Amino acid sequence: MNAHTSAPPSATLVRIADQMESFRENLRKVSRTGTAADLANQFIRDAQIVFPNASLRFLHASPGSGQWEVLAGDAGSKSTAHLPRPSDDDGKSSAVHSEKNELTVSQTLADGSRIRVVLVNMPAQSQISDTDELSLRVLTGVLETIYGEMLHRRNEKAMLFSLNHRILQLNSLIDTGIEIATIDPHALPHRLALVRAISLTNASTGMVRVSDANAVLEEYRFPEHSSRVKDGKSIQSGFEFSGRTYVFEISDKESRSGVIPFEETDQMLLDALTKQVHASLENRHLHEQAIENERIERELSVAASIQRKIIPLKLPAVPGYEIAGINIPSRSVGGDYYDCIPLPDKRYALIIADVSGKGVPAALLVSSLHAYLTAYLEGNDPLPALAGKLNKALFRASTEDRFVTALLALLTPATGDIEYLSAGHNPAYILKSDHTIEELKLGGIPLGMLDADFPYQSEHRKLTPGEGLLLYTDGVTEAENERHELYEQAHSLSGFLASRRPERAESFIGDLISEIRSHTGSASQNDDITAMYLIRKS
Amino acid sequence: MEQPFSLTSELKENRLVITTSGYVNNVGGETIAKEFNRHFEKGITSVVINLADSRVVNSIGMSFLLEIIEQLQGVDGKLIFTNLDPAVEKMLTIMGIFQFAGKASDVAGALKLFH
Repeated sequence: MNAHTSAPPSATLVRIADQMESFRENLRKVSRTGTAADLANQFIRDAQIVFPNASLRFLHASPGSGQWEVLAGDAGSKSTAHLPRPSDDDGKSSAVHSEKNELTVSQTLADGSRIRVVLVNMPAQSQISDTDELSLRVLTGVLETIYGEMLHRRNEKAMLFSLNHRILQLNSLIDTGIEIATIDPHALPHRLALVRAISLTNASTGMVRVSDANAVLEEYRFPEHSSRVKDGKSIQSGFEFSGRTYVFEISDKESRSGVIPFEETDQMLLDALTKQVHASLENRHLHEQAIENERIERELSVAASIQRKIIPLKLPAVPGYEIAGINIPSRSVGGDYYDCIPLPDKRYALIIADVSGKGVPAALLVSSLHAYLTAYLEGNDPLPALAGKLNKALFRASTEDRFVTALLALLTPATGDIEYLSAGHNPAYILKSDHTIEELKLGGIPLGMLDADFPYQSEHRKLTPGEGLLLYTDGVTEAENERHELYEQAHSLSGFLASRRPERAESFIGDLISEIRSHTGSASQNDDITAMYLIRKS
Repeated sequence: MEQPFSLTSELKENRLVITTSGYVNNVGGETIAKEFNRHFEKGITSVVINLADSRVVNSIGMSFLLEIIEQLQGVDGKLIFTNLDPAVEKMLTIMGIFQFAGKASDVAGALKLFH
């Protein structure tokens, strides 16, 4: 330290005593909102009151920096080149007199940065006193304290901000999950997720690309027309769903000092939002399927209702006969049909039919068959001609893979005469009074299969009192048990009939169904089961 | 779709109304702060920030808004946000902004709060 003159308690000390409190408060006030430069400027302003005849400069060096920066004061008065490099400065606080009228006080601050306050007395011949040095040290010490408080407050605020940001991220993740979970078909959950991911990770830009095997279907960027910064970093996430690939990319994580690398938690956040979008799309798909299923169920319900009106709830009373029938569809709607229709000439038309296939298409053809049959019966055509008309009409009404097997019969109740015709249907059985059974084997082409004039042929049989006629569909003979064995293979229908001579039509139908059920056990029904039994009583 | 950031400002009865459009991020926040400081240096201490067309804010952008609030607190000034998107409003609430700043549904409502 250079020699310097001693002086009695000077006006400087008096001024510093007077100014200390306001000096501290002014610095503290600036420190609450200002920058280091603001603090330096305030320091110089207040120090100038204590040293009215001096020129002051405030220099600062960041931790590890080899250069001083003039933050405040008479910056142009002297170069900083002659000062020791900040790293060469030793001690927490030191003072040097480089010239008789110049005093420099240096101080290490709480964050490791260094400051230098340079005081040059004016006029130039005025010497630095001990009081000047003491005063400047005191002021610099106050600055160090206030600067420490400022750093502490900033750290606290930064921690609070960071904590709040984490809370915000979690909260937004939940909110976004709820918003994304919407089943609104017009919502764009992938876009919402991208925007939230960008915002919550402080990314500058991002995009989501949806593509299939052939092309990019959609590319959405946020903000619009944004582009990445040079050498910026990105993170990605994505998934595949329904043949489409969704790729999310966010880029250029921001900080106040420029672009910084993304953190592990940013990737976790992006992945979480991406998974929410995936789940949302799956849920929406399932919801749409459920709606579609519901629509189909409603349509099936309507079709079943229509079919219930086609299949007779109760067959007509035939004088001298008893007749009963049953139809058990394997689905909501079936492809089997039976009926007994009284004709104007007191005869009765019996029909049993089976449409190829199942479900609604089969049920529609049943409706057509019922309509055509009802209409054509009014024409009083011979049975083969009636079958020919039905064949042509059903061919026009059906697709190529649809046809109808049917057995048609005309009963003359008074004589017991039955004229029958088969269009590719299972043979009917007559349970005769001599305890034999007759299989009605007459064949024919199924209705609606080909657009041609087939020579359908009919035959006559006669029922005597006590004899019966059984009509059925292949759902009876081909009913499967759990081992996929057909009823006909395991038992044979003719065997079942041979042992019986039923007196009541309805109970016989019940027995037949019980027989089939005992074969199928708990196996699910895979085809419609239909049967009709006519017995001559007198 | 969110446009690149831009802002307009006007003085109404010595109150600064800043209306923004686009993503309030580092660039957006800094632009708002510069516009604020330009008027703050001239003594303007009542400020409205209309975020009607800014539906996305990140925490860097928010840090600039916090600094504006701190500067205004130092001079007993006041900042009021208006036309907030629900997501942005929730964000500002969680970050504690409304402990130190007001909010109003629109600019006219905000200006009344200064009386």
